[in-house]
Amino acid sequence: MKKVTLVLSLICAILAIILAILPLFKLAFIPTVLALVFGLISFIKSKKDNQSTHVVQVSFLLVIIALGLSTYKTVFTVQEVGNTEELEQREKENEEKALEELEDIEIDDIEIEDLDLE
Amino acid sequence: MKHLLTTFTAFLIICSSFSQNNNAFKAGEKLTFSASYNMSGILTDIAEVKMETSAVNTSGTTLYRLKCSATTYSNFDSFFKIRDLYESYVNPKTVAPYLYQRDISEGGYYKFVKYKYSYKTNTVSSLIRKKSKNFASGFWDRNNTIKINPGTRDIVSTLYKLRTLDIHKAPVGASDTFTVLFDNKEVKCSFKLLGKETINTAIGKKECYKIAINVVNENVLKGSNANIIWLTADENKIPVYAKFKIAVGSGELKIKSATGLKN
Repeated sequence: MKKVTLVLSLICAILAIILAILPLFKLAFIPTVLALVFGLISFIKSKKDNQSTHVVQVSFLLVIIALGLSTYKTVFTVQEVGNTEELEQREKENEEKALEELEDIEIDDIEIEDLDLE
Repeated sequence: MKHLLTTFTAFLIICSSFSQNNNAFKAGEKLTFSASYNMSGILTDIAEVKMETSAVNTSGTTLYRLKCSATTYSNFDSFFKIRDLYESYVNPKTVAPYLYQRDISEGGYYKFVKYKYSYKTNTVSSLIRKKSKNFASGFWDRNNTIKINPGTRDIVSTLYKLRTLDIHKAPVGASDTFTVLFDNKEVKCSFKLLGKETINTAIGKKECYKIAINVVNENVLKGSNANIIWLTADENKIPVYAKFKIAVGSGELKIKSATGLKN
């Protein structure tokens, strides 16, 4: 039981670190909490049995790093759109091509008099 | 006399269903959304989605250009960069598409799709273009002519067409099916009115029509009535919120701003 919780705590802590580095950093909070819970259970059991708690401490350290990193990112990351120059270029080219295409398309029954154009 | 009355009523109903005018949007409308991933209540913003309309003048007429674009936020760009562009050139009144272009670039994968509609012959000439090193031009092209059913649209014009429907006349539980041409295949999409709901959005508290989207016989969208779109219950019928079920967690589309509205 103690070993299982210890391993689970370590796995969750590593997963939290990975998620905290990735752009899905907000999801890191889920494995962080799990790692803490499993780590605490393992820590209490080890203390009871007078066994070493070094590995649990490593897990706690990882959790603290993951928690710090994801909290920092959550607070300071500004959501903004990246470079769209290439997209705008493609948009322009596509529109020009589309206009050429539309010239030879047969368009019937369009009444444009009462259109509300701006 | 009774027959005459029945015929007249039937004629009136047919006329009203065909002459559905577009009173929902005009050229110059710009809607901005934020697409996010929701897992156990934790929301992660992934991309910005824009829906824009503009008027396009050809030598003979004026069409509407309906443009939808998706761009990932800068922190996702280095992991999975999305720059998608979907556009449809439609009849301003009936929202019938004449030309559809899909230009997608997703994490290094590029694809260009063009559909040119011919309503006289009920066909679509399609062009699919992918990047390929095997050709001198750097692109692999495939031209096809596809027979379509009358009323088949593309995905962008279907979304806009949904807005032009007289939803206020429909009873709760009513559904409507559209045929959408996607990847050279005709897919049936059904929209079912689930009722009205008032929700809080970035553009204020809005009373909305809650509409479930289902793709018939396809595995694109999972769950029944799990993919829902909220359209404002006014003349504009702006999509303010959408929820999609995916394998793990769910995807959400929330409105950020709306400008150039018709009403």
